[in-house]
Amino acid sequence: MSSDAGSIPAASKSSHTNERNVVKYIVRSLMVLFVLLCQLAPTAASRFQEEPFLKLSVEDFADYGRVTVTSNHPLRSSIEKNGIYLLVRIRADQPFRIRRGSFRSRFIESVGWTQGVDFYVLNIKVQMSDFTHASTNLTRPHRLVIDVLPEGADPRPKAGQEAAEGAATIPKKETGARTTERAAPRTETPAAIPTQSLAQGTRTIIIDPGHGGLEVGAEGQNGTLEKDITLSLSLKLKAIIERNLAYRVVLTRDRDVDVPLERRAAIANNEQAFLFVSIHANGFPGSKARGAETYFLNLNATDEEARRLAYMENNSTELDQVQGDAEDDIKMILWDMAQANFLKQSSEMAELIQSELNTLRDTRNRGVKQAPFKVLTGVACPAVLVEVAFISNPDEERKLLTDDFQAAVAQAIYTGLAKFIRQYARD
Amino acid sequence: MDIKRILPLGVLSVLLLVLAVLFFVGGAEKPPALAPVPVPDDAGEDSAEPPQTRTITLFFLSDEDNLLHPEEREIYTHELTVFEAKQAIEELVRGSSSGAVASIPPGTRLREMYIIQDGVAYVDFSRELKDNHGSGTAAETATVFAIVNTLTYNFESIKRVSILIGGNERETLNGHIDLTRPLLPRLDLIAK
Repeated sequence: MSSDAGSIPAASKSSHTNERNVVKYIVRSLMVLFVLLCQLAPTAASRFQEEPFLKLSVEDFADYGRVTVTSNHPLRSSIEKNGIYLLVRIRADQPFRIRRGSFRSRFIESVGWTQGVDFYVLNIKVQMSDFTHASTNLTRPHRLVIDVLPEGADPRPKAGQEAAEGAATIPKKETGARTTERAAPRTETPAAIPTQSLAQGTRTIIIDPGHGGLEVGAEGQNGTLEKDITLSLSLKLKAIIERNLAYRVVLTRDRDVDVPLERRAAIANNEQAFLFVSIHANGFPGSKARGAETYFLNLNATDEEARRLAYMENNSTELDQVQGDAEDDIKMILWDMAQANFLKQSSEMAELIQSELNTLRDTRNRGVKQAPFKVLTGVACPAVLVEVAFISNPDEERKLLTDDFQAAVAQAIYTGLAKFIRQYARD
Repeated sequence: MDIKRILPLGVLSVLLLVLAVLFFVGGAEKPPALAPVPVPDDAGEDSAEPPQTRTITLFFLSDEDNLLHPEEREIYTHELTVFEAKQAIEELVRGSSSGAVASIPPGTRLREMYIIQDGVAYVDFSRELKDNHGSGTAAETATVFAIVNTLTYNFESIKRVSILIGGNERETLNGHIDLTRPLLPRLDLIAK
């Protein structure tokens, strides 16, 4: 090359332009090639790197239901039992396309997805309240297999029965390689009964002292903080309930700490709560507002959403045969709003508590109201939020600080609760 | 061939190849972001005609009944709803002219507003909306629905309202009303 370089200056002008033409030609062909590549890219890319997906299918075996999540990516997951729900959290570094497979089950009522920032949650609604579950992670393809088993039957004969049936039914549905793997979840089953001992016997009432920690809530003109009043009231209410009723009482916080709102609902659901009462003190600009009010959830759902929610509740099996993303949206809304199923009972409990609060001396009746409270949306049991008095009103602020008033308020809420329990437990 | 001519050609080919590879690997399967398209702030080109105005209704508070009280205000008309809606919120932020209690805490600014196709308005406030808020369910309900009602009451195309703070979605303002889903108007909170 370097020797060539020496000879070039001697070359004629015409060979120079020739060479330039060749260069131009090459550059142009490269450009054309590039444009072609660009057009091919999307198809080629999808062929080589398949879109990440999560495929969900539900099927029944002899005496248990099975939910299978298949993916082209490894699945990192955790499972939590929440009343009649199983919540399967799947880590996701990238968005997945949600695909639906078959849905045929007597054990599983519905399934749905919720998407978080870097995770997805699969909500499995189980037909019966007494059940156990077992799960296993498989590869090639990546699969998460969750079995849902009704509780009650003696596990040992069932396991034997299942082994016999398994030999007959499973090879038809699965390949030979998978049949050996699928023994794993069944053997784990007897150990996977974490909630049963807790749920046995006594039912649980959740008391939720509003705010806490850095979230001080409303503030009185003399510096009284809502979070302190709510905790003190809640502890008094807990004591009264425990003295009078054979119920377990769990507080969402028992000291001055921050507890996220969703965590409060999760505590209730993890405890398979029977009732949920959130205690608050009210606030409004100025000092005049006064009185007590009791809230239950306002769904804040559009007519269309409300219609779908109602339809979902009544026709879950029919809807499961509908394909498409719209259906997943509905179910997402459904789990987001576990409280939607308890609005009637919640309104009754609100009425009973409010009418007891109205018997308190010098307390103005502000009535039963509805609002889309974040803390109530996810609670899967009758739930209310009580605003006992206005901390922003100096008179009520003073009252709220007294032991007498706190005891009277706690007693009123207890009486309302007890009336509701008598009514509700009968149903 | 001259090295000086070959070199650029080589560099160019390598560059194209790198671009092609980047296109295949980097470009694959990134769904587009779902950010709503911001609407320009200015009212459009200057025109000779005098600006048209229309009357809208804002909602302020009262410490007598804690309900939302209507108050009328003039705003400039604009072919884009979002521009009119921004004026409405700015008027709401400015406060009552008849001495009613402010629905928006002092110091709050409207940062941005979008209206997306299905009738959801996203209203982005500065953090004073929560920092300077007195808290309490009654106060929070009043502030949130003064905003939601002002927008849905005056603009037919706005069906629901999502309140953002500092450009981000917040769970609640101060621990009560759920702000994670767009809110529907509450006409029952308006004083008769």
